[in-house]
Amino acid sequence: MIVPMEHLLILATLLFALGLGCVLVRRNLIMILIGVEIMINSVGLVLVGASAFWQQVDGQIMVLILMAITAAEVAIGLALVVYLHQQKKSIDVGIFDEMRG
Amino acid sequence: MDILLTLILLLPLAGGVINACFGNRMPRPAPVFIASGAVIGSFLACLGSFTVAAGEGYRLVLFTWLKSGDFQADIGLLYDPLAAIMALMVTGVASLIHLYAAGYMEDDPDQVRFFALLNLFVFAMLTIVLADNLLLLFLGWEGVGFCSYGLIGFWYRKTENADAGRKAFIVTRTGDLFFTVALLWLFAIFGTVSIEGINAGVADLDLTTATVISLLLLFGACGKSAQVPLMSWLPDAMAGPTPVSALIHAATMVTAGVYLLCRLFPLVSLSPLALAVIALIGIATAFYAATCALAQNEIKRVLAYSTMSQVGYMFLAVGLGSVSAAMFHLLTHAFFKALLFMTAGCLINLAGHENDIRRMGGMRQRSPLVFWLFIAGLLCLAGAPLTSGFFSKDLILATAFAHGDPFHLGLYGLGVATAALTSLYCFRLAYLVFAGDFRGEELPHEPNSLMLWPLYPLAIIGLGAGLLNLPHLFAGGSWLSGWLDRSQDVLHLSLNTEYLLIAAAVAVFVLGWLVAGLRYRKYTEHQPSLVSRFLLSGWRVDNVFDVLLVQPFRNIGRFCSQGVEIGLIEGILNGAARGCTDLGSRLRGFADGKVSAYLQGLVWGFVLIIGWFLLRALI
Amino acid sequence: MATDFPLLSLLLFTPLAGALLCLVAGTVNTSNVRWVALVTAGAVLILSLVLCLIQTPTAGWLLYEDYSWIEAFGIRYTLGLDGLSSILILLTAFLQVLAVLVSWQQKRAPAIFFALLLILETAAIGVLLALDMILFYLFWELLLIPMFFLIGVWGYQRRFYAAVKFFLFTLIGSLCLLLAVISLYLLHGDQTGTYTFALEALKQTELSATQELVFFLCFMAAFVVKVPLFPFHSWLPDAHAEGPAAGSVDLAGLLLKTGVYGMIRFAFPLFPDAARNAMPILALLALVGLFYAAWVAFQQIDIKRIVAYSSISHMGFVILGLAAWNQTAWEGSVLLMVNHAVTTAGLFAVVAMIQQRTGTRNLDQLGGLWKSHPNMSAFFLLFCMASLGLPGLANFAGEILILIGVFAVKPLWAIVAVAGVLFSAVYTLRLVQETLWGNNCEPHDKQDLVSREWIILIPLAVLVVLLGCYPQPVLDLLREPVSSLLMSGGLP
Repeated sequence: MIVPMEHLLILATLLFALGLGCVLVRRNLIMILIGVEIMINSVGLVLVGASAFWQQVDGQIMVLILMAITAAEVAIGLALVVYLHQQKKSIDVGIFDEMRG
Repeated sequence: MDILLTLILLLPLAGGVINACFGNRMPRPAPVFIASGAVIGSFLACLGSFTVAAGEGYRLVLFTWLKSGDFQADIGLLYDPLAAIMALMVTGVASLIHLYAAGYMEDDPDQVRFFALLNLFVFAMLTIVLADNLLLLFLGWEGVGFCSYGLIGFWYRKTENADAGRKAFIVTRTGDLFFTVALLWLFAIFGTVSIEGINAGVADLDLTTATVISLLLLFGACGKSAQVPLMSWLPDAMAGPTPVSALIHAATMVTAGVYLLCRLFPLVSLSPLALAVIALIGIATAFYAATCALAQNEIKRVLAYSTMSQVGYMFLAVGLGSVSAAMFHLLTHAFFKALLFMTAGCLINLAGHENDIRRMGGMRQRSPLVFWLFIAGLLCLAGAPLTSGFFSKDLILATAFAHGDPFHLGLYGLGVATAALTSLYCFRLAYLVFAGDFRGEELPHEPNSLMLWPLYPLAIIGLGAGLLNLPHLFAGGSWLSGWLDRSQDVLHLSLNTEYLLIAAAVAVFVLGWLVAGLRYRKYTEHQPSLVSRFLLSGWRVDNVFDVLLVQPFRNIGRFCSQGVEIGLIEGILNGAARGCTDLGSRLRGFADGKVSAYLQGLVWGFVLIIGWFLLRALI
Repeated sequence: MATDFPLLSLLLFTPLAGALLCLVAGTVNTSNVRWVALVTAGAVLILSLVLCLIQTPTAGWLLYEDYSWIEAFGIRYTLGLDGLSSILILLTAFLQVLAVLVSWQQKRAPAIFFALLLILETAAIGVLLALDMILFYLFWELLLIPMFFLIGVWGYQRRFYAAVKFFLFTLIGSLCLLLAVISLYLLHGDQTGTYTFALEALKQTELSATQELVFFLCFMAAFVVKVPLFPFHSWLPDAHAEGPAAGSVDLAGLLLKTGVYGMIRFAFPLFPDAARNAMPILALLALVGLFYAAWVAFQQIDIKRIVAYSSISHMGFVILGLAAWNQTAWEGSVLLMVNHAVTTAGLFAVVAMIQQRTGTRNLDQLGGLWKSHPNMSAFFLLFCMASLGLPGLANFAGEILILIGVFAVKPLWAIVAVAGVLFSAVYTLRLVQETLWGNNCEPHDKQDLVSREWIILIPLAVLVVLLGCYPQPVLDLLREPVSSLLMSGGLP
């Protein structure tokens, strides 16, 4: 393996932290979705790296499934965002509090 | 013979059931014919089978009512001399009263209900009389209670009538509790509820148990027979129609307690203490009721108290150990008291439906016939020499005297005093009702002939029933004692003592008459004194019971339903429910609907979990 | 004895099939639904009557069915019928016919209403037949659901409150039962290696005293709430008062009985030692309940609540009989249960008719009904008298047997209980007094009984008299089952 495992893990952690930060900080729905994507991709990166490290194909299969799920998730997520935008003419998370108990 | 015996019970039952179910669909006189026919048929059946009862009696088991484990109760009849003579009296008097009632209730729209209940009553009463076991006897016992309830409150549109019925039911049922306990106890001891089985086995019973059971039976009998302390229902029961008062509250049901004690006399007689208590309760009631009767203003209430008083004499007789004296007085009393009540019904009609003797007077002019009939009854009640009441009362008092010890002499003394009071209130009643001029305004309402002619046979039997148990002194053979196989009840006193006792009885009778004559011959309107108000209210017993029993019962009931049910139980439940909803609404605060807050919670939770595992791994 | 033809399953599923038919028929024409329900209930009645008549009073199961159901967990489909269950099934079937007749005029969604009634019947019959604990539990819970909707949808003003209260009470009890059943199953499996829910097998489980007590209490939690025993009774008056007439008939006639049945079929034989130790407490609660309910009944002004509290009082009597733990008392308890069901069903039926005619159940507004409705009032008086224990009418036969049985064991309990009879007289006479006598009510509907009501009341009245004068057929059927249940619990 060319790149050491440690570097890969650090990169993935950084990406995950960035994604998490994005999700927590941003109020724009689209940006939150992007943050989620980044977090998912960081997990995918770990899976690929692990697959290469242990010379096992499972990780790559998982990544393929992950990509498929991500695609579906983005599709649904964006559809929801569009719908919500139609409802409130805004995609600021602050105003969507209908789930308040 | 079996068929005849079955018919005694079955006819009134069938009459009652038929009237209850189909009476309203039948043309008008049919229900009356069915009811009267049933009772008269029953009377004839009694008469026809009377001789079978002699000696050991006759047993008949129809079918098994209840059988479980060791317990068995049959629908079975025990037709012995005691039952036979009682059954004959019940059916005989009931037949006459049915005929009287046919006249009395002629115009009542609810006639059918009346006759159905009256027939059922006769059935239940005969069940008491004929039952061969205590459970079946109890069926009759409660059955008469129910019929009495229904008949006292017969004119139910007036709430007071219905209240009186309810009071009668509940007070007598209080007595029945004791009876039930006695029944359970007897079964636990003897393994049977058969009357013969119990009477046969009493010899092995220890004294304390016998005393307690006898006292329980006594209290049971007190309820039904309106004895102290369960007596207050009887005067109120006069709210019922007059035939009902005559049949149930004079001739039959109120004597059921006496009959019960006689039926179980082998058991009761085991304990001298129990006998003494029975005698005391008897004489106390006799005296109490006689004093109350002195001050009553309603004709039927006077008679009700006199009934109570006379039944007290019967209890006294049982307490003295003389079954034949008790039964003798029971029989004579049944005849003359039924006569008195029914004549009183005629008088009330004649006075224009007026109950109050202060507003009567001069009734002799309105109907001399009724006057003579009523006087015949009153003379028996007051114990006029040679009438039936004279002989039967005298036998009881003589028995008390014959015992000789101070306790029994005391009973005798009180008995004589009560007899004087009896004579006094009888003649007070007679003077107030018949003497002088009519004081009311109402026009007379002539009793129809059907109401009058059952009174003649009753008057004749009432006056002459002394022949049943005529003592030796009057050249009699004490037939009743012989029939009941109670030769030990026949007194053997010296001739002088007998004359003395008779002289005393005649003296108090005359004394009562004289005093009443002086006091009441001329009616004067006056304010009732404190004493007479006290007596009028029956020594304020109702108030005492109200304070001691009724109010606490209500208060506990209110405490249970307001305090425990709503306050405590509902409170705990509502508290638990409110706790849950409160907790829920607190937790609601966390869900503020902000996506970012949720996400933060997610992250922090995640961090906490990771941190926890890291901490675990490090330590 | 096992026949090839699954008679018991037929009995069990006939009402269910009828319920489905009701729903189907309801989509076509709602007025036919009641006929479907009546015919089904009638068929079940005939079937159960035949089952009662063909049996001879012998020990053991008259009919027995046993099929594999969920093998993996050792759950079987086991049904058994003996004298005890056949009497109670007959009672259930009889009352169900009446319940259908009582709700004949049901206007609101009749298809669903009658379907629920029939499902309730299946559940009740299932409870009385099941011998596999899971099967029993299934039917036990199935009882709740139709009842919940019957009260919650077809009831009066506070119906939802009453339905939820009923549901929560019984559900909490049932969950305790489920927990105990599963633990017992695991324990038995660990001990013997065969995992089964069969009642007979579970009786053989070795239990320590503490375990037995805990299991017993869990079982009793379910049954005691259903009975209901003081102080777990608070749901019953609400359920009665707010439920529809048919619901009240079923509550008094079916549901309360399953609680007592559960005790004598399951709780006592499974945990005999714990049960016997708990008897004094049970008797105490029963006695307290007997008087307490009578006192509360005396203070009520709603007729239905009075009858409901009288139910609690009478069930106290039943439980007292069980606590005596002997043949006479147990036979008396079951007899009283049957008699009470008939009497109370009659009372509720008449109360429904009174309410229909006067528009009220409030005692203050009632009175003098005998004048305008003598026939209806006569029936009411008859049922009231039976309820207060007049000898010769239904309840007395059971009560006196209980008293005799109890007196043989604990005279004091019996003496105290006798006083309860007086109390029942006090509140029942008040009820009679303020509805029938007096003069202060002008009902808007002067119609005395119509023919449908005659059909409802005559069989009840006949039964009330018959069970009071000749209860022997019932007692004969009960003798062997009760004595074998007592033996399996071990006589003290």
